[in-house]
Amino acid sequence: MSMERTVAETQAERVSGGLWQGIKAALARIGFSPIGVVAFIIIALLPLVPPFNQEHITRWLVMGAFLGAQAVAFDFTAGYINVVNFGFAAILGVGAYTSAVLSNTLPILIVQPGLPPWLTIWIGALASGLIGFLLGMLTLRLRGIFAAVMAWFVGIALMGLATNLPKLTRGSLGFAPPPLLNTTNNLPYYYVALGILLLTYICLRLVTNSHMGLAFRAIGQNIDAARASGINPTRYRVINFTLSCVFAGLLGGFYAHYIGSLTPRTVMHTSKTVEVLALAYIGGRGSMWGGAAVAFPFVFFIEFLRSNLAQLPGLHMVIYGVLLIIVMIFYPGGVAQLYSAIARRVQRRAKGG
Amino acid sequence: MEATRVQPSFGERLMLNLRSRPAAWIMIAMTLGFLVIIGIFAGPSQLVNTIVTGGMWALMAVGLALVFGVMNIPHFAHGDSFMIGAYVAYFVFTPIQASLRDNPNPVLSAVGPLIAWAAAALVGFVVGAIMEKLVFYPLRQRTRKGWVMNTFLLTVGISFVLVYGTNLILGPNFRGVPNYWNMPPIVIGSVRLTMERIAAFVVAIVAIVAFWIFLSSTRTGRAIRAVAQDEMGAEMVGINLNFIYTLTFALATAMAALAGASLLFMFPAYPTVGLKPLYFAWYVVMLVGLGNVQGAIVGGFIVAVLQTLTQQFFGVSYEDVVPVVVMILVLLLVPNGIFGSEVKGIQEQ
Repeated sequence: MSMERTVAETQAERVSGGLWQGIKAALARIGFSPIGVVAFIIIALLPLVPPFNQEHITRWLVMGAFLGAQAVAFDFTAGYINVVNFGFAAILGVGAYTSAVLSNTLPILIVQPGLPPWLTIWIGALASGLIGFLLGMLTLRLRGIFAAVMAWFVGIALMGLATNLPKLTRGSLGFAPPPLLNTTNNLPYYYVALGILLLTYICLRLVTNSHMGLAFRAIGQNIDAARASGINPTRYRVINFTLSCVFAGLLGGFYAHYIGSLTPRTVMHTSKTVEVLALAYIGGRGSMWGGAAVAFPFVFFIEFLRSNLAQLPGLHMVIYGVLLIIVMIFYPGGVAQLYSAIARRVQRRAKGG
Repeated sequence: MEATRVQPSFGERLMLNLRSRPAAWIMIAMTLGFLVIIGIFAGPSQLVNTIVTGGMWALMAVGLALVFGVMNIPHFAHGDSFMIGAYVAYFVFTPIQASLRDNPNPVLSAVGPLIAWAAAALVGFVVGAIMEKLVFYPLRQRTRKGWVMNTFLLTVGISFVLVYGTNLILGPNFRGVPNYWNMPPIVIGSVRLTMERIAAFVVAIVAIVAFWIFLSSTRTGRAIRAVAQDEMGAEMVGINLNFIYTLTFALATAMAALAGASLLFMFPAYPTVGLKPLYFAWYVVMLVGLGNVQGAIVGGFIVAVLQTLTQQFFGVSYEDVVPVVVMILVLLLVPNGIFGSEVKGIQEQ
């Protein structure tokens, strides 16, 4: 009797354990651990709970999701193939302006196609992807530094073009694209932003978990060894760079129709790239989730500084710089490495009793 | 014991460099042609401006090329050294100017600006040495893996700290010195030459020549070149690598600071004043080939000519767009740069 019960119990345990393992494996395929899922659900429910259910805090959360998704797309290139896309913000701006111009209905510009924003943000993403593809074809057969510097040059040129074509973009006067949603409430935008963050993360994670991700990692770690084992570095690097730019363009489109005001300086300036770069590296290169996880607390921290230390403008930029330097020299794995070190210690302690 | 070997002079080295490089010949010929065009269509004063600007871009680019050639650091905070130089010159020169107003002194009024420039170069030297010891030295101790990309990111971080730190402490106001010397401009024909322009050009040329003599005929200078050619070999013959690295970085920073100080009358000091010089210095270095110091000297003038042409025929607002077109052509046709890169392994194919 007792014997039978034990067998039944172990069987039940095995089944539930198997189910648990199955769920874990399925989650791992899209790059989530159970703790990650819980954290994501908490972040998603945050604006429904006081004190976070105020409009301005929801707005910060939208910016957190936006910055986090940018860090994910940036780290896909920087962390995997070790190429810094120094024109990231400008390429994002291409998506933003393409989408904004195509959805424009106001008679202030020479073209008013008036397409729905839901459609145009995808066209914007493709436009960014095209720029990324051309830039990658030009520079990625050379050493990584050429891609970084050339992307910077192209970024400055694109910003110059956006400023110099006032009939198309209204230049530095600012351009007001139509809103994405028919509401002034921030909460629906928050869920769109989270959706885009999730889409970016899962798509790019599926790529990195495939054989292509293996090639990316090999190229990033040792390009000669990768070439020796039959990988064509240029091809994989261009694919990676283009994909990252596509998601940058998608994010740009979202930003344009959320903020409702575009100027070249506020979207495409190099300092915007550096913000994302700092987030991605502080979060942990090659982890992809690190930048997204760091983005939310950072946005709160920055807004706290801005409201309490208004007499010190740009303090958060100095902090970004110092943190970037410290992480680069002393802790190259960033927050993601810190997390895994802690997790390992906790696990060891749990096993040890 | 010094070997009595004749060092090739700058001209000889340049000729050696050029013999096998048609792109460089074409570019230099075009530049000279463009200079004539500028002289005819835009007037001789534009011609003088172009040459002065060329000297300054050359001074900036030499530092950048040196740091990349010797240390393999793609220096993104080079423009902020320019900014530091501009601020130091302002804060040294303003009290001198004020004291001159109360009790005029002909010697001090002639030498005052030079004191400010020397102070800027000195501060630049010290700041560069501190930067190297504080940031790149620890990284070098930890790992050399992924060095180029890691140091690139580090210089981005340094640039952010310097720009926004300055903004925090000194504010975003412009601090300029409209003229260093209270002298009437020298008029030759239709060209009006102010003392500031002449001095800035002379300083650039003197600094570059002095630097070249230092590199080619002093023991330390030759050690720097040895490290650029072969690090391990240099270490084997007893060169102290850490000293050479710190010296190289300090020298590059000092040259950028000197450029910032002597151009204070054109670029007033403010936190992001270094962006444009940085951009043009990178443009020069990419055009002539990464790490090529001689090329950078000539390249400074080529870029200045291209810049003047853009301003004359397309308008100032296209100043950022035209370089990209030139760069695309360079990357497609001569990815090593028109003078050839002196860094191994540009191609990753």
